[in-house]
Amino acid sequence: MANKLQTRRLLLMALLLGVAFAGLGYRLVDLQVLRHDDLRTEARKNTERGYQIPARRGDILDAKGNLLATSVFVKTVCADPALIGNRQGEVAHALAGLLELKESDLAQRLLPHTRLNERHETVTNHYVVLKRKVSVDTWQKVTNAMAQLTFADVNEKELTSKSQKAFYHDLRAKSIYTDPVDDQLRNYPSHSLAAHVLGYTGVTERTNGGMRVLETIGVDGMERTLDDKLRGVPGWRQTEVDRQQRELVALREEDVDPRDGLNAVLTIDAFLQHALEMSLADAMQHESPISVSGIILRPRTGEILALAVLPTFDPNNPGANEDARRDRVIADVHEPGSTFKIIVVSGALNDGLVTLNDQFDCEHGHFSFGGHILHDHASYGVLSTEGIITKSSNIGAAKIGIRMGETRLYEHMRDFGIGLHTGIPLPGEVAGFLHPVKAWKKVSIAQIPMGQGVATTSLQMAMAMCAIANKGVLMRPMLVDRLQDQKGEVVARYSPQTVRRVISEEAARQMVEALKTVATSDGTAPKAALDHYTVAGKTGTAQKPPYTSNKFYASFIGFFPADNPEVCIYLSMDEPKGNLHQGGQICAPVFKSLAEQVAAYLNIKPDKGDTGFPEFPITTVDQAPKTAAVRAP
Amino acid sequence: MARNRKNQSAAIRFGPALKVLLLCAAIVSACLGYVWLKKQLGELGQQTRRREALVRELHAQNEKLRRQLAELQSVPMLEQRVKDLKLGLQPPQPAQVWNLSEPAPDAAAPDEKQYAEKPKGPGSP
Repeated sequence: MANKLQTRRLLLMALLLGVAFAGLGYRLVDLQVLRHDDLRTEARKNTERGYQIPARRGDILDAKGNLLATSVFVKTVCADPALIGNRQGEVAHALAGLLELKESDLAQRLLPHTRLNERHETVTNHYVVLKRKVSVDTWQKVTNAMAQLTFADVNEKELTSKSQKAFYHDLRAKSIYTDPVDDQLRNYPSHSLAAHVLGYTGVTERTNGGMRVLETIGVDGMERTLDDKLRGVPGWRQTEVDRQQRELVALREEDVDPRDGLNAVLTIDAFLQHALEMSLADAMQHESPISVSGIILRPRTGEILALAVLPTFDPNNPGANEDARRDRVIADVHEPGSTFKIIVVSGALNDGLVTLNDQFDCEHGHFSFGGHILHDHASYGVLSTEGIITKSSNIGAAKIGIRMGETRLYEHMRDFGIGLHTGIPLPGEVAGFLHPVKAWKKVSIAQIPMGQGVATTSLQMAMAMCAIANKGVLMRPMLVDRLQDQKGEVVARYSPQTVRRVISEEAARQMVEALKTVATSDGTAPKAALDHYTVAGKTGTAQKPPYTSNKFYASFIGFFPADNPEVCIYLSMDEPKGNLHQGGQICAPVFKSLAEQVAAYLNIKPDKGDTGFPEFPITTVDQAPKTAAVRAP
Repeated sequence: MARNRKNQSAAIRFGPALKVLLLCAAIVSACLGYVWLKKQLGELGQQTRRREALVRELHAQNEKLRRQLAELQSVPMLEQRVKDLKLGLQPPQPAQVWNLSEPAPDAAAPDEKQYAEKPKGPGSP
């Protein structure tokens, strides 16, 4: 009996053990085979981490290597509301000042929110962005503030519950954190200097292989044009972490360094840019126009040394004022007025239709053509071609246009780039309006030569004048001199680009002779004359449509030294509010003061006036001081 | 004649014991070496992490200083300082600048020696 009972017990025991082992075996197969992939992924998630290492955005430098735009790595401060419990008030109070946020708003954002996930489970949010672009110093202060956080109604030393202790520990150590991927703050050390050239940046968020990535992108200006060059290529790191989320460096699997963006060296010169902006600011103060613009160029190469528009903005904080952010030099079109005569007269000289000495009857200020009466600003009788430029006679220019004919006039305007993009490497450039000949009215052939019925950008007119200064060759405006890597090695160098020859060298020379007379006592811009340089230039005073509005667009374009041009300067004012509105009255003086600064800075050799050496004492080591008169060879 | 185990000398049994001891020692040393290497690896990892953090911090400081320098050297800032300190600095006027022409090099006389004379001596060819 006993043996039977023992056998039964033994069998039962064996059965139980068998079942237990079978259960364990099944569990083993379930964990190791059936759910192997899922569990392996789960386990890896606990320890493996993938980081994107952002590439540093390249700097933008001026022609002399001065820093115009640079990047700083900054933090994105986030919170896990689930770890904050009901302590939003205390946390908000501690951080609001540091993050420069309103305490009530911050407390609101720290409140946990629940939602249903795809499995219809209620989940609490663990990620709220509190502030972007927080400096490393400020983040350090935030962590210190969190570490020293105290709660008046709780004596933490007396807490016995492990869960409560863990709650306060996590609240201090983990509830406020930063995005693992650093963001970048674009910094413009000279603030609004060259703002319309540099543009500004923005932030975009995208996911890359499951990783959330914040990217700084160029929104406007050179930041946008050169975005792919400045941006660089991010690196990445695949690694593992321990229980305290510390990286285990030895277990790094992939570690690829980022490739930083290239530095862009512009043709802009910070000093000239500043001088231009100061001159424009003075003009803005005196004449109170809607806007004032200026460009300084090298006619031979098309290099833009300075380009400014007022009102302007600070790219560090572009703000919401779109009007100030608009680069009016390339994005606004207007009837150019008398500056346009340079194109018509140059074309006529090129075609041999006129010479500088040909005489035109300017009808004493009233000329009836195509059912319209054209006016001059003064009563002129007979004027030579040169005189038409000197006095800026509308009727004289109209007669030259009529002599040239519609087709040739249109072709010359196209050749000078009117109605076409200049090719400046800035976004937002418009081509202006130049209607095809078949859309012209009868009066157009007389109106267009005096700068009406055609719309141009300021840059187009500046480039047209540069073409005349450059012996008839139109250049493409140039803003980027070279790209270089972080070590200063040149990666790409940009050369001046010729667009086309627009007039012959001889026609350009004759045109320069005519333009020299503008900045004289006989011309329309005596205030543009310089003491040590011969100026060639043209004034423009365009009435803004409707022509009865008494609103004007005043401009002056000039270059010097006239026979060997180093610099061309364009200046314009939109709707000046002072007593004067002519380009020769309000833009020419600005040109003069600016040109003097430019000439001194660039050390341009004078071509008139006293260019000899002044007398002054020369002291040598061996000789007693004496006065020496030295003349230039 | 076969000898009884009791009669075997201790010296003869010491051999295998030594071998076992050496084997154990080798295994223990290998284990200790493995642990030591792991520890070293961990420590070096920590050091690497700390130094990377230091490099990042120094880079950040460098960037900050570079930015400060750029701000201090910017043209508007310099102009403001010139005004504040009343230095009265002005760019030179055209009349204050001497433009010197590069004198044309004198044409060398035909018989004038233009190069250094070759050494004359016993060793010269």
